[in-house]
Amino acid sequence: MTWVLLWKFVLFFCLSAYSLLVVVVIFGGIKNIIDMLKELSAPRDQE
Amino acid sequence: MDVFSTNFATIDWIIVMVYICIPVVIGVIVRKYVRQLSDFIVAGRSLRLFVAIATLTGTELGLVTVMYNSELGFKHGFSAFHVGIIETVCILAIGLTGFIVYKLRELRIMTIPEFYEIRFGRTVRIVGGSLLALGGIMNMGLFLQAGARFMMGVTGYSNPAGLKIFMSVMLIMVLVYTVLGGMVSVVLNDFLQFVVLSIGMLIGSYFAITKIGLGNLFKAPETVNQASWFNPVAEGSGFGSIYVIFMVVLTFSAGALWQSGTLRALAAKSPKVAKQLFAWGSISYLARRVIPMLWGICAFVFVSQTPKLLSAFQGPDAINSQFGMPIFIAKVLPSGFLGLIAAGMFAAFMSTHDSYLLSWSSVITQDIVAPLKKGKLSDKSRMLITRISIVCIGLFLLIWGLWFEAPVSLWNYMAVTGTIYLAGAFTVVTAGLYWKKASKTGAMTALWAGVLAFGGIGPWTRGDNVPFYASDKFIGLMTFVIAILGMIIGSLLFPDKEKKSEASP
Repeated sequence: MTWVLLWKFVLFFCLSAYSLLVVVVIFGGIKNIIDMLKELSAPRDQE
Repeated sequence: MDVFSTNFATIDWIIVMVYICIPVVIGVIVRKYVRQLSDFIVAGRSLRLFVAIATLTGTELGLVTVMYNSELGFKHGFSAFHVGIIETVCILAIGLTGFIVYKLRELRIMTIPEFYEIRFGRTVRIVGGSLLALGGIMNMGLFLQAGARFMMGVTGYSNPAGLKIFMSVMLIMVLVYTVLGGMVSVVLNDFLQFVVLSIGMLIGSYFAITKIGLGNLFKAPETVNQASWFNPVAEGSGFGSIYVIFMVVLTFSAGALWQSGTLRALAAKSPKVAKQLFAWGSISYLARRVIPMLWGICAFVFVSQTPKLLSAFQGPDAINSQFGMPIFIAKVLPSGFLGLIAAGMFAAFMSTHDSYLLSWSSVITQDIVAPLKKGKLSDKSRMLITRISIVCIGLFLLIWGLWFEAPVSLWNYMAVTGTIYLAGAFTVVTAGLYWKKASKTGAMTALWAGVLAFGGIGPWTRGDNVPFYASDKFIGLMTFVIAILGMIIGSLLFPDKEKKSEASP
């Protein structure tokens, strides 16, 4: 019974936390990509 | 009910065809951003937090991840969840402490063996790079095979030639855009695939749970042992204490040092972002385990309720258990959405493949060929060697995937082949960063110890009555133990006379 409760908690925590993460990453990620491409297209020295 | 019956229709084929063209288009477009080697391998070290999380997830949540985790759920039920919990805790611990990844990012290296040279000298780098490439390429040896099985199960294509056809087409697609765009195209595609796959997986989970019913989901089917369906250390679970300990060591070391994941940390904007990436990414690591396992569990419950399906998975002529999840979703997901899931999974297959191909080929260039040439290789030559290596590795995957079958399960195969590299790498990097007495001899001993893990994919690990000392989990765990002992004993008996301080770029 204890194992069942544990896995129930893990499953519902995982589904809710991941849903939240996906929303945050989608919005934050779009902004990050724009910044990254700007940086890569800017003139720079060879490393 | 026919085993390979499916809801996959023409509209689903159209969705898949359109979707898989997108990565190739992106690969062509972003070529203009790839001007030097660091752009190709670490995207100019320009990754910010959210896109880094997406790309880490895009890499670590591939089709093969979904396949091996769903197979674990299908075969072992909820007891398989322990692997996800262990991995999540390990990744979170790395993120909170910055263990290994923070210091490696500070060093501004592009591959892990570069650190070997900084700390232990060039020979260690070449040996470490060779073993890393060997373990890594072996590890992805069954990716194509698993991916093709998924596509066969979902599309209902049961012709024996299907495996060869799907494997060849999938390989060609992934080679084209990885060779063209390098890390910048990988990052953009990973982001797209993170979005599509994550949403698809969450909605797919809703369909799977609805089909089975919450009440049935948490009841062990009558055909399995009730205790071992939930308890990973119960007798008959297929896991046990040795397996659990092996998973702790393996997932912790892989979390910190698996080249494709660590590459994201090395490509991060700063050491702080590298650390945050792992802390936030731990949720993705949980999801990449638990959600596919959930699908595998639902698939088994579904199969066990349908006698014809159940008999197809039992007996000497049983079809491979990797088919369980794709056959299930092919029957429960509606047409249209099934196409989207298949496209998302196919894209995930490509996103994992591209990163792994890039990881291992860049190791061959940077850590084997370049040090042998004593650093006298131009950026252009290095990129050419990297691209040639990508094609060669791809051909190996095709041949290996056509004739080799995982002796126990796909995940166990990956765990053991990963150990070939990880046992030595984890020991050498940890000791190199945190133990002043670590020596070159100790490092070489630890690295070579990793080769022992090859014993874990031998035919003697297959079957129900394998003695514990011949099991893949015991061999995997012992490889780590021997590598650690090798480092300690080798360093104490043969300390370094002088410190090396130079590294090839």
